[in-house]
Amino acid sequence: MKQTIYILSILGSLSMYSQGCSDAGFCSVGNTFTDELNTSKNQLDFGGIIGGGEADIFYISPYVTYTRNFSESFTMSAKVTYSQASGDFGTRGQFGDAFLTGNYTFKEKKDKTWSTLLGFKFPFTSSNAKINGVSLPLDYQASLGTFDLIAGVGFKYKKWFFNTALQLPVFNNNKNSYFDEYSASNDFSSTNLFERKPDVLFRTTYTIQNNTKFTFKPNLLFIYRLGEDTYENLAGNRTSIDGSDGLTINANLITSYAIAKNKILEASLAFPFVVKEERPDGLTRSFTAGLIYKYAF
Amino acid sequence: MILNLNTTAMVKKGIYLLVALMFFSCEKEGEFTRQEAQQQNIIINSNEDLVELYAGTFVPTAGISVTGKAKIYQQGTTRFVSLENFTISNAPDLKVYLSTTAAPDTFVNLGNLTAATTYTIPTQVDLTVFTYVLIHCQQYNHLYAIANLN
Repeated sequence: MKQTIYILSILGSLSMYSQGCSDAGFCSVGNTFTDELNTSKNQLDFGGIIGGGEADIFYISPYVTYTRNFSESFTMSAKVTYSQASGDFGTRGQFGDAFLTGNYTFKEKKDKTWSTLLGFKFPFTSSNAKINGVSLPLDYQASLGTFDLIAGVGFKYKKWFFNTALQLPVFNNNKNSYFDEYSASNDFSSTNLFERKPDVLFRTTYTIQNNTKFTFKPNLLFIYRLGEDTYENLAGNRTSIDGSDGLTINANLITSYAIAKNKILEASLAFPFVVKEERPDGLTRSFTAGLIYKYAF
Repeated sequence: MILNLNTTAMVKKGIYLLVALMFFSCEKEGEFTRQEAQQQNIIINSNEDLVELYAGTFVPTAGISVTGKAKIYQQGTTRFVSLENFTISNAPDLKVYLSTTAAPDTFVNLGNLTAATTYTIPTQVDLTVFTYVLIHCQQYNHLYAIANLN
Protein backbone atom coordinates (compact mmCIF):
# COMPACT_ATOMS: atom_id res chain seq x y z
CA MET A 1 0.00 0.00 0.00
CA LYS A 2 2.80 2.33 0.95
CA GLN A 3 4.43 1.65 -2.37
CA THR A 4 1.22 2.38 -4.23
CA ILE A 5 0.87 5.68 -2.43
CA TYR A 6 4.48 6.46 -3.17
CA ILE A 7 4.08 5.73 -6.87
CA LEU A 8 0.97 7.88 -7.01
CA SER A 9 2.76 10.70 -5.29
CA ILE A 10 5.75 10.50 -7.60
CA LEU A 11 3.51 10.42 -10.62
CA GLY A 12 2.06 13.70 -9.57
CA SER A 13 5.19 15.29 -10.89
CA LEU A 14 4.17 16.10 -14.40
CA SER A 15 7.50 16.94 -15.88
CA MET A 16 5.97 17.77 -19.18
CA TYR A 17 7.50 20.66 -21.02
CA SER A 18 6.04 21.12 -24.41
CA GLN A 19 5.27 23.97 -26.72
CA GLY A 20 3.02 26.05 -24.58
CA CYS A 21 4.95 25.99 -21.37
CA SER A 22 6.39 29.25 -20.22
CA ASP A 23 9.29 27.21 -18.96
CA ALA A 24 10.01 23.75 -17.67
CA GLY A 25 9.28 24.67 -14.10
CA PHE A 26 5.88 26.19 -14.66
CA CYS A 27 4.67 23.16 -16.55
CA SER A 28 5.67 20.87 -13.72
CA VAL A 29 4.14 22.87 -10.89
CA GLY A 30 2.01 19.81 -10.19
CA ASN A 31 5.09 18.27 -8.71
CA THR A 32 4.66 19.57 -5.24
CA PHE A 33 0.90 19.32 -5.27
CA THR A 34 1.02 15.60 -4.54
CA ASP A 35 4.37 15.14 -2.87
CA GLU A 36 2.71 15.18 0.49
CA LEU A 37 1.90 11.52 -0.10
CA ASN A 38 5.57 10.74 -0.24
CA THR A 39 6.60 8.85 2.87
CA SER A 40 10.26 9.85 2.56
CA LYS A 41 11.72 13.08 3.86
CA ASN A 42 13.78 13.94 0.79
CA GLN A 43 13.55 13.39 -2.93
CA LEU A 44 15.92 14.05 -5.79
CA ASP A 45 14.78 14.07 -9.42
CA PHE A 46 17.19 13.98 -12.34
CA GLY A 47 15.44 14.65 -15.63
CA GLY A 48 16.37 14.98 -19.26
CA ILE A 49 14.01 16.25 -21.94
CA ILE A 50 14.54 16.40 -25.67
CA GLY A 51 12.35 18.33 -28.06
CA GLY A 52 11.97 19.66 -31.57
CA GLY A 53 11.06 23.27 -32.24
CA GLU A 54 10.49 25.85 -34.95
CA ALA A 55 13.08 26.10 -37.77
CA ASP A 56 14.27 22.57 -36.95
CA ILE A 57 15.78 23.52 -33.62
CA PHE A 58 16.63 20.56 -31.41
CA TYR A 59 16.56 20.94 -27.64
CA ILE A 60 18.19 19.06 -24.80
CA SER A 61 16.99 20.21 -21.39
CA PRO A 62 18.25 18.46 -18.28
CA TYR A 63 17.16 19.50 -14.80
CA VAL A 64 17.51 18.52 -11.17
CA THR A 65 14.92 18.96 -8.42
CA TYR A 66 15.29 18.56 -4.68
CA THR A 67 12.12 18.22 -2.60
CA ARG A 68 11.97 18.28 1.17
CA ASN A 69 8.90 17.16 3.10
CA PHE A 70 8.81 19.24 6.26
CA SER A 71 5.57 17.66 7.44
CA GLU A 72 2.65 15.68 6.07
CA SER A 73 1.20 18.91 4.78
CA PHE A 74 4.12 21.09 3.82
CA THR A 75 6.82 20.50 1.21
CA MET A 76 9.35 22.72 -0.52
CA SER A 77 11.14 22.14 -3.81
CA ALA A 78 14.15 23.68 -5.49
CA LYS A 79 14.69 23.09 -9.18
CA VAL A 80 17.45 24.10 -11.59
CA THR A 81 17.09 23.85 -15.37
CA TYR A 82 19.61 23.82 -18.21
CA SER A 83 18.79 24.14 -21.89
CA GLN A 84 20.78 23.60 -25.06
CA ALA A 85 19.37 24.55 -28.45
CA SER A 86 20.88 23.52 -31.81
CA GLY A 87 19.84 24.85 -35.21
CA ASP A 88 20.92 27.09 -38.09
CA PHE A 89 22.33 29.67 -35.67
CA GLY A 90 24.56 27.02 -34.11
CA THR A 91 24.45 25.49 -30.65
CA ARG A 92 23.98 27.44 -27.45
CA GLY A 93 23.57 25.91 -24.00
CA GLN A 94 23.22 27.63 -20.63
CA PHE A 95 21.65 27.25 -17.24
CA GLY A 96 18.11 28.57 -17.45
CA ASP A 97 16.16 29.17 -14.27
CA ALA A 98 15.94 28.23 -10.62
CA PHE A 99 12.53 27.55 -9.10
CA LEU A 100 11.71 27.62 -5.43
CA THR A 101 8.22 26.41 -4.57
CA GLY A 102 6.30 25.63 -1.41
CA ASN A 103 3.23 23.46 -1.28
CA TYR A 104 0.63 23.10 1.43
CA THR A 105 -1.86 20.22 1.30
CA PHE A 106 -5.02 20.16 3.33
CA LYS A 107 -6.33 17.00 4.96
CA GLU A 108 -8.24 14.62 2.73
CA LYS A 109 -12.01 14.62 3.19
CA LYS A 110 -14.24 12.11 1.41
CA ASP A 111 -11.62 11.35 -1.28
CA LYS A 112 -11.15 15.06 -1.93
CA THR A 113 -7.85 16.81 -1.32
CA TRP A 114 -7.09 20.49 -1.82
CA SER A 115 -3.64 21.96 -2.01
CA THR A 116 -2.03 25.33 -2.63
CA LEU A 117 1.28 26.34 -4.12
CA LEU A 118 3.44 29.45 -4.00
CA GLY A 119 6.72 29.75 -5.84
CA PHE A 120 9.27 31.99 -7.45
CA LYS A 121 11.34 31.68 -10.60
CA PHE A 122 14.79 33.23 -10.80
CA PRO A 123 16.57 33.44 -14.17
CA PHE A 124 20.27 32.65 -14.51
CA THR A 125 20.55 34.65 -17.74
CA SER A 126 19.22 37.90 -19.19
CA SER A 127 18.19 36.07 -22.36
CA ASN A 128 20.83 37.73 -24.52
CA ALA A 129 23.20 34.87 -25.32
CA LYS A 130 25.03 35.36 -28.62
CA ILE A 131 27.23 33.33 -30.96
CA ASN A 132 30.19 35.20 -32.50
CA GLY A 133 28.52 38.43 -31.44
CA VAL A 134 25.29 37.61 -33.30
CA SER A 135 22.13 38.13 -31.25
CA LEU A 136 20.03 34.98 -31.00
CA PRO A 137 16.23 34.68 -30.98
CA LEU A 138 14.52 33.57 -27.79
CA ASP A 139 14.25 30.05 -29.20
CA TYR A 140 17.99 29.71 -28.45
CA GLN A 141 17.88 31.28 -24.98
CA ALA A 142 17.81 29.11 -21.88
CA SER A 143 15.60 31.54 -19.96
CA LEU A 144 13.22 34.38 -20.72
CA GLY A 145 15.04 36.46 -18.13
CA THR A 146 12.04 37.22 -15.93
CA PHE A 147 11.64 36.92 -12.16
CA ASP A 148 8.21 35.34 -11.76
CA LEU A 149 5.73 34.66 -9.01
CA ILE A 150 3.88 31.36 -9.32
CA ALA A 151 0.69 30.74 -7.33
CA GLY A 152 -1.70 27.85 -7.72
CA VAL A 153 -4.43 25.59 -6.37
CA GLY A 154 -4.80 21.85 -6.77
CA PHE A 155 -7.75 19.52 -6.30
CA LYS A 156 -7.59 15.73 -6.21
CA TYR A 157 -10.66 13.54 -6.37
CA LYS A 158 -10.16 9.78 -6.62
CA LYS A 159 -8.26 9.20 -9.88
CA TRP A 160 -8.67 12.76 -11.13
CA PHE A 161 -6.34 15.62 -10.41
CA PHE A 162 -6.95 19.23 -11.42
CA ASN A 163 -4.67 22.16 -10.88
CA THR A 164 -4.59 25.74 -11.91
CA ALA A 165 -1.78 28.27 -11.54
CA LEU A 166 -0.79 31.81 -12.41
CA GLN A 167 2.70 32.74 -13.56
CA LEU A 168 3.19 36.46 -13.07
CA PRO A 169 6.40 38.21 -14.18
CA VAL A 170 7.22 40.65 -11.37
CA PHE A 171 10.58 41.88 -12.64
CA ASN A 172 11.79 41.78 -16.21
CA ASN A 173 15.51 41.39 -16.85
CA ASN A 174 15.18 40.35 -20.48
CA LYS A 175 17.98 42.05 -22.43
CA ASN A 176 17.54 40.12 -25.66
CA SER A 177 18.70 42.06 -28.74
CA TYR A 178 17.46 39.95 -31.66
CA PHE A 179 16.11 41.88 -34.66
CA ASP A 180 14.45 40.07 -37.53
CA GLU A 181 15.51 43.02 -39.73
CA TYR A 182 19.23 42.32 -39.19
CA SER A 183 19.04 38.53 -39.18
CA ALA A 184 19.97 36.02 -41.84
CA SER A 185 16.86 34.07 -40.83
CA ASN A 186 13.21 34.87 -41.50
CA ASP A 187 11.87 32.32 -39.03
CA PHE A 188 11.77 34.42 -35.86
CA SER A 189 10.10 37.61 -34.66
CA SER A 190 12.13 40.54 -33.35
CA THR A 191 12.42 40.23 -29.58
CA ASN A 192 14.71 43.13 -28.66
CA LEU A 193 14.18 43.88 -24.91
CA PHE A 194 11.26 41.45 -24.89
CA GLU A 195 8.52 41.69 -22.29
CA ARG A 196 6.16 38.79 -21.73
CA LYS A 197 2.68 38.81 -20.27
CA PRO A 198 1.38 36.49 -17.48
CA ASP A 199 0.18 32.97 -18.11
CA VAL A 200 -2.70 31.06 -16.56
CA LEU A 201 -2.40 27.28 -16.50
CA PHE A 202 -5.07 24.64 -16.06
CA ARG A 203 -4.33 20.95 -16.10
CA THR A 204 -6.49 17.87 -15.77
CA THR A 205 -4.97 14.46 -15.15
CA TYR A 206 -6.37 10.95 -14.91
CA THR A 207 -4.43 8.10 -13.29
CA ILE A 208 -4.52 4.55 -14.63
CA GLN A 209 -2.80 1.95 -12.53
CA ASN A 210 -2.84 -1.67 -13.64
CA ASN A 211 -0.36 -3.06 -11.18
CA THR A 212 2.09 -1.80 -8.63
CA LYS A 213 4.97 -1.41 -11.12
CA PHE A 214 3.45 0.61 -13.98
CA THR A 215 1.26 3.66 -13.84
CA PHE A 216 -0.05 5.80 -16.70
CA LYS A 217 -1.12 9.39 -16.41
CA PRO A 218 -2.62 10.96 -19.52
CA ASN A 219 -3.25 14.65 -19.03
CA LEU A 220 -4.21 17.83 -20.82
CA LEU A 221 -2.55 21.15 -20.14
CA PHE A 222 -4.22 24.44 -21.06
CA ILE A 223 -2.13 27.61 -20.98
CA TYR A 224 -3.54 31.03 -21.70
CA ARG A 225 -1.27 34.04 -22.29
CA LEU A 226 -3.21 36.98 -20.87
CA GLY A 227 -1.92 39.66 -23.23
CA GLU A 228 0.30 40.33 -26.19
CA ASP A 229 4.04 40.23 -25.61
CA THR A 230 6.00 43.32 -26.59
CA TYR A 231 9.49 44.29 -27.80
CA GLU A 232 11.41 47.47 -28.45
CA ASN A 233 11.66 48.18 -32.18
CA LEU A 234 14.55 49.74 -34.15
CA ALA A 235 13.41 53.23 -33.16
CA GLY A 236 13.27 52.33 -29.48
CA ASN A 237 9.47 52.23 -29.32
CA ARG A 238 7.67 49.44 -27.46
CA THR A 239 5.62 47.39 -29.91
CA SER A 240 3.00 44.67 -29.37
CA ILE A 241 3.43 41.37 -31.14
CA ASP A 242 0.10 40.54 -32.78
CA GLY A 243 -1.17 37.04 -32.06
CA SER A 244 1.22 36.36 -29.19
CA ASP A 245 -1.64 36.11 -26.68
CA GLY A 246 -4.18 33.31 -26.40
CA LEU A 247 -4.53 29.62 -25.78
CA THR A 248 -2.18 26.68 -26.09
CA ILE A 249 -3.28 23.12 -25.36
CA ASN A 250 -0.80 20.31 -24.80
CA ALA A 251 -1.46 16.59 -24.58
CA ASN A 252 0.86 14.55 -22.42
CA LEU A 253 1.29 10.92 -21.46
CA ILE A 254 3.41 9.90 -18.52
CA THR A 255 4.44 6.31 -17.93
CA SER A 256 6.06 5.44 -14.67
CA TYR A 257 7.90 2.32 -13.56
CA ALA A 258 8.75 1.58 -9.94
CA ILE A 259 12.27 0.18 -9.87
CA ALA A 260 12.25 -0.13 -6.11
CA LYS A 261 10.33 1.20 -3.18
CA ASN A 262 12.19 4.50 -3.32
CA LYS A 263 13.23 4.65 -6.97
CA ILE A 264 11.07 5.53 -9.95
CA LEU A 265 11.83 5.80 -13.63
CA GLU A 266 9.42 7.96 -15.55
CA ALA A 267 8.97 8.62 -19.27
CA SER A 268 6.84 11.40 -20.72
CA LEU A 269 5.71 12.30 -24.22
CA ALA A 270 4.03 15.61 -24.96
CA PHE A 271 2.90 17.64 -27.94
CA PRO A 272 0.72 20.71 -28.53
CA PHE A 273 -2.41 20.51 -30.66
CA VAL A 274 -3.65 24.07 -30.23
CA VAL A 275 -1.05 26.83 -30.52
CA LYS A 276 -0.96 30.60 -30.55
CA GLU A 277 -0.66 32.46 -33.84
CA GLU A 278 2.71 33.93 -32.83
CA ARG A 279 5.22 32.45 -30.39
CA PRO A 280 8.03 34.99 -30.06
CA ASP A 281 8.93 33.67 -26.60
CA GLY A 282 10.64 30.75 -28.32
CA LEU A 283 8.45 28.12 -26.70
CA THR A 284 7.77 26.42 -30.00
CA ARG A 285 8.38 22.77 -29.27
CA SER A 286 6.38 20.51 -31.54
CA PHE A 287 7.06 17.54 -29.28
CA THR A 288 9.01 16.68 -26.17
CA ALA A 289 10.14 13.38 -24.74
CA GLY A 290 11.46 13.11 -21.22
CA LEU A 291 13.12 10.56 -19.00
CA ILE A 292 13.28 11.19 -15.27
CA TYR A 293 14.88 9.25 -12.46
CA LYS A 294 13.46 9.87 -9.01
CA TYR A 295 15.10 8.87 -5.80
CA ALA A 296 13.61 9.25 -2.34
CA PHE A 297 15.65 8.98 0.85
CA MET B 1 23.59 5.48 10.19
CA ILE B 2 25.67 4.23 7.27
CA LEU B 3 22.76 4.94 4.96
CA ASN B 4 22.49 8.49 6.32
CA LEU B 5 26.21 9.12 5.80
CA ASN B 6 26.00 7.79 2.23
CA THR B 7 23.00 9.95 1.54
CA THR B 8 24.69 13.05 2.93
CA ALA B 9 27.78 12.36 0.84
CA MET B 10 25.64 11.91 -2.25
CA VAL B 11 23.77 15.17 -1.66
CA LYS B 12 27.09 16.99 -1.10
CA LYS B 13 28.48 15.58 -4.33
CA GLY B 14 25.32 16.62 -6.12
CA ILE B 15 25.65 20.18 -4.79
CA TYR B 16 29.34 20.38 -5.83
CA LEU B 17 28.42 19.10 -9.29
CA LEU B 18 25.64 21.64 -9.59
CA VAL B 19 27.90 24.53 -8.56
CA ALA B 20 30.52 23.38 -11.09
CA LEU B 21 27.89 23.21 -13.80
CA MET B 22 26.66 26.72 -12.99
CA PHE B 23 29.75 28.05 -14.73
CA PHE B 24 29.29 25.79 -17.72
CA SER B 25 27.81 26.96 -20.96
CA CYS B 26 28.44 25.81 -24.48
CA GLU B 27 28.60 27.68 -27.76
CA LYS B 28 29.17 26.49 -31.32
CA GLU B 29 28.72 28.60 -34.46
CA GLY B 30 26.23 27.67 -37.17
CA GLU B 31 25.28 28.68 -40.69
CA PHE B 32 23.91 32.09 -39.62
CA THR B 33 26.62 32.92 -37.12
CA ARG B 34 29.89 32.09 -38.85
CA GLN B 35 32.67 34.43 -37.77
CA GLU B 36 33.69 35.30 -41.35
CA ALA B 37 30.14 36.37 -42.17
CA GLN B 38 30.12 38.81 -39.24
CA GLN B 39 33.20 40.56 -40.57
CA GLN B 40 31.72 41.25 -44.00
CA ASN B 41 31.12 44.88 -44.88
CA ILE B 42 28.68 46.44 -47.28
CA ILE B 43 29.93 45.77 -50.80
CA ILE B 44 30.86 49.02 -52.46
CA ASN B 45 30.11 49.18 -56.16
CA SER B 46 33.12 50.68 -57.89
CA ASN B 47 30.99 51.79 -60.86
CA GLU B 48 28.96 54.20 -58.74
CA ASP B 49 30.17 57.35 -57.02
CA LEU B 50 30.65 57.08 -53.28
CA VAL B 51 29.61 60.35 -51.66
CA GLU B 52 30.63 61.28 -48.15
CA LEU B 53 27.66 63.04 -46.52
CA TYR B 54 28.70 63.56 -42.89
CA ALA B 55 31.60 62.84 -40.56
CA GLY B 56 32.31 63.12 -36.86
CA THR B 57 35.03 62.13 -34.42
CA PHE B 58 34.16 59.83 -31.53
CA VAL B 59 34.37 61.24 -28.01
CA PRO B 60 34.28 58.79 -25.11
CA THR B 61 32.10 59.00 -22.01
CA ALA B 62 33.65 58.77 -18.55
CA GLY B 63 35.95 55.81 -18.05
CA ILE B 64 35.78 54.67 -21.67
CA SER B 65 38.53 54.56 -24.25
CA VAL B 66 37.61 55.21 -27.87
CA THR B 67 39.37 56.31 -31.09
CA GLY B 68 38.25 56.85 -34.68
CA LYS B 69 35.62 58.54 -36.77
CA ALA B 70 32.07 57.89 -37.92
CA LYS B 71 31.34 58.77 -41.53
CA ILE B 72 28.14 58.52 -43.52
CA TYR B 73 28.34 57.62 -47.18
CA GLN B 74 25.79 57.34 -49.92
CA GLN B 75 26.09 55.20 -53.00
CA GLY B 76 23.05 55.16 -55.25
CA THR B 77 20.12 54.83 -52.86
CA THR B 78 22.13 53.07 -50.15
CA ARG B 79 23.37 55.06 -47.18
CA PHE B 80 25.59 53.61 -44.52
CA VAL B 81 27.62 54.47 -41.43
CA SER B 82 31.31 53.64 -41.68
CA LEU B 83 33.50 53.40 -38.59
CA GLU B 84 37.04 54.35 -39.55
CA ASN B 85 40.22 53.72 -37.53
CA PHE B 86 37.82 52.73 -34.81
CA THR B 87 38.69 51.11 -31.47
CA ILE B 88 36.70 51.03 -28.22
CA SER B 89 36.82 49.48 -24.74
CA ASN B 90 35.38 45.99 -24.52
CA ALA B 91 31.74 45.65 -23.48
CA PRO B 92 29.17 42.86 -23.66
CA ASP B 93 26.36 44.33 -25.75
CA LEU B 94 27.44 47.37 -27.76
CA LYS B 95 25.08 48.78 -30.40
CA VAL B 96 25.46 51.40 -33.10
CA TYR B 97 22.75 54.07 -32.87
CA LEU B 98 21.89 57.03 -35.04
CA SER B 99 20.46 59.57 -32.63
CA THR B 100 18.89 63.02 -32.66
CA THR B 101 20.89 64.07 -29.58
CA ALA B 102 24.06 63.07 -27.76
CA ALA B 103 21.96 60.75 -25.55
CA PRO B 104 20.14 57.54 -26.55
CA ASP B 105 16.63 59.00 -26.26
CA THR B 106 15.39 59.26 -29.84
CA PHE B 107 17.41 56.92 -32.00
CA VAL B 108 17.54 54.23 -34.66
CA ASN B 109 19.28 51.02 -33.68
CA LEU B 110 21.62 49.97 -36.53
CA GLY B 111 22.52 46.69 -34.87
CA ASN B 112 25.33 45.08 -32.89
CA LEU B 113 28.81 46.55 -33.01
CA THR B 114 30.77 43.74 -34.67
CA ALA B 115 34.00 43.27 -36.54
CA ALA B 116 32.26 44.77 -39.58
CA THR B 117 32.83 48.50 -40.00
CA THR B 118 29.78 49.47 -42.07
CA TYR B 119 26.11 49.64 -41.03
CA THR B 120 23.19 50.23 -43.41
CA ILE B 121 20.89 53.14 -42.62
CA PRO B 122 17.14 52.49 -43.14
CA THR B 123 15.75 54.56 -46.02
CA GLN B 124 13.22 56.47 -43.89
CA VAL B 125 15.87 57.97 -41.57
CA ASP B 126 16.22 61.73 -42.01
CA LEU B 127 19.91 62.51 -41.62
CA THR B 128 19.24 66.20 -41.04
CA VAL B 129 17.53 65.15 -37.78
CA PHE B 130 19.62 62.15 -36.74
CA THR B 131 22.93 63.92 -36.38
CA TYR B 132 24.80 61.75 -33.89
CA VAL B 133 26.33 58.30 -34.04
CA LEU B 134 26.35 56.67 -30.60
CA ILE B 135 27.97 53.51 -29.33
CA HIS B 136 25.69 52.28 -26.58
CA CYS B 137 25.68 49.24 -24.32
CA GLN B 138 22.04 48.19 -24.39
CA GLN B 139 22.30 45.43 -21.79
CA TYR B 140 23.52 47.79 -19.06
CA ASN B 141 22.07 50.97 -20.57
CA HIS B 142 25.42 52.71 -20.63
CA LEU B 143 26.56 55.16 -23.30
CA TYR B 144 30.14 54.54 -24.46
CA ALA B 145 30.94 57.01 -27.23
CA ILE B 146 29.44 59.92 -29.17
CA ALA B 147 30.24 61.26 -32.64
CA ASN B 148 28.57 64.53 -33.63
CA LEU B 149 28.10 64.46 -37.41
CA ASN B 150 28.91 67.56 -39.45
